This record gives sequence, C-alpha cells and structure tokens, in this order.
Amino acid sequence: MADTTGNPYRIYRITWVILLIITVAMLAAEALHLPRIFLIVFLTAFMMVKAVMIGGNFMHLRYERPSLALMVAGGLLITSLILFSFISREAHHVARSLSN
Amino acid sequence: MHGSDAAVLEAHWGGGAAPFGASWQKTMMWIFIVTDGLLFSGLLCGYGYLRMVSPVPWPRQSEVFSIPFIALMTFILITSSMTMGTAVTAARLGDHKRALHNLVFTIVGGLCFLGCQAYEWSHLIHEGARLTGNPWGPPQFTQAFFVLTGFHGSHVLSGLVILIITAIRTGMGKTPAQGVEMAGLYWHFVDLVWVFIFTLFYLL
Repeated sequence: MADTTGNPYRIYRITWVILLIITVAMLAAEALHLPRIFLIVFLTAFMMVKAVMIGGNFMHLRYERPSLALMVAGGLLITSLILFSFISREAHHVARSLSN
Repeated sequence: MHGSDAAVLEAHWGGGAAPFGASWQKTMMWIFIVTDGLLFSGLLCGYGYLRMVSPVPWPRQSEVFSIPFIALMTFILITSSMTMGTAVTAARLGDHKRALHNLVFTIVGGLCFLGCQAYEWSHLIHEGARLTGNPWGPPQFTQAFFVLTGFHGSHVLSGLVILIITAIRTGMGKTPAQGVEMAGLYWHFVDLVWVFIFTLFYLL
C-alpha cells in the first residue's frame, strides 16, 4: 500500500514527473543522433528505470514481500534474457549465412 | 541459522495459506501479469530477431513515425497511470468520490490513447503500410509494428472495458477497494509494456 503518512497521493505525482523527465531525456537522446552503442546503453538503462518506477510505485511492488517482487521482476527478466540470448545467437548465425 | 534470521526469512518468504503475503486475488493477478509479460517478451524478442536477420536496412523510425506524436501517446498513458494509482489509494482510504473521479480520468486517458493509435494506424496504412510490405524497407518492419502495437492496443481496449465496469460498480458502491486495485494492476501493466515498446521499437 502507498505511504499513508502525509499526502498518500504525492508518490504518484512525483513518479509521474520523474517518468516524464526520463521520457523527455530519451527523446532528446534519440533526436541528438548519438553514437549507436551509446544510444542503446542510455535508452535501455532509462527504460529499466521507468519499468522499476512503474512496478515499484504504481504497482506497489515496493510494499509487497520481496518474494513477490522477485517472482515478478526476476522471472520476467531472467526468462527474457535467456530467450533473447538464444534468439540473438540464432539471428547472428542466420544473418551470417544469408550474407554468404 | 539464528532464530531472528529465521523469523526474518519467515516474514519475507513464508507462504502458508497466503503465498507472498497477498490475497489469492492479488496473487493470481500477479501470476497473470507475469504470463502476459512473457507474451510481450516473446513478441519483442521476435521483433529483435526479425530486425537482426533482415537483409535490407531497417528504416529510421523518425522518418516513418511522428516521434512527437508517439511521445504524446506516452504522456497520455503515463498520466493515466498516475490517475489510476490515485484511484487505487483513494479506494483503499474509502474516498469513493475521488476514486471514481480518477477512474473516469483514467478511462478518458485510455480512450485518447486508443484514438491516437487508431489515427497512427490509419495514417500509416494510407501511406502504404501493409503486413506484406511497406515503402520504407523490409516487410518485417510493418509486420512487427502491427503485431506489437496491435497486441498492446488490444490490451488497452480490454483494460478500458475492465475500468469502465469498475467505475460503474464504484459509482454504485459495489466495488471493494481490492477490485479497484486489481483493475489498477492491469492498467499499470499496460503502461509498463508501452515503456518497452516505445523504447525498443520507436526509439532504438
């Protein structure tokens, strides 16, 4: 549950402002035509920060037991990483054979 | 292991009749969100695969889409998440009037987002975007676009149906606070998925 000391709705407004600032920073990075590798690292990092803020503050995961947060975040993240690592390896192989 | 350590572990990990220390409704909702999240994870990985194996260069997104317009859609969805969070807390605190107002704001935000998406789809289709090809590059580009945004849009639509039912029932005083919270979890999940689509498909 949200923090009930003080204004209980404040956390949503603060999260909203931070999410908007991050989104503007991401758009600026895209518009500046930064080097590709820098853009990938920058945008991926900000994407994860936004995901953590939405999961933690909007979905209240920070107030749940760590086991629930770990099941949700860890499960999704680990499965996605495994899936992507296999797929990218296969894609690299296919792309190389197509170019030959 | 010391007794105090065991007590801490039990407090954080103990399951029993309430796994994760949550109600069965919330636990089931989270399990549903994880499985639905895996669906989008698979779709995004599939998109990555299509992009990596494409023999034709991938089009630059800013030359196809209006990024400020996509930013507006992002703004709408983030704002609707803020109003949804406010509605959940208001319902928890017994402030039904505030909960209902914020539910209505969230519904309006969702409708605006869907309207923007319909406009974007019709605009791109008018310019020649098809599942079988497009004027900008490989056909996989529009295939990924229609599948990713289509699946997300269908989730927004179903979220709106849930929100409208929740709002009507809240107005009648029939929805418990937990009902609003479950609807909120689903709506925030829709916002969460958009964060990934916005970054991985529109910006990178």
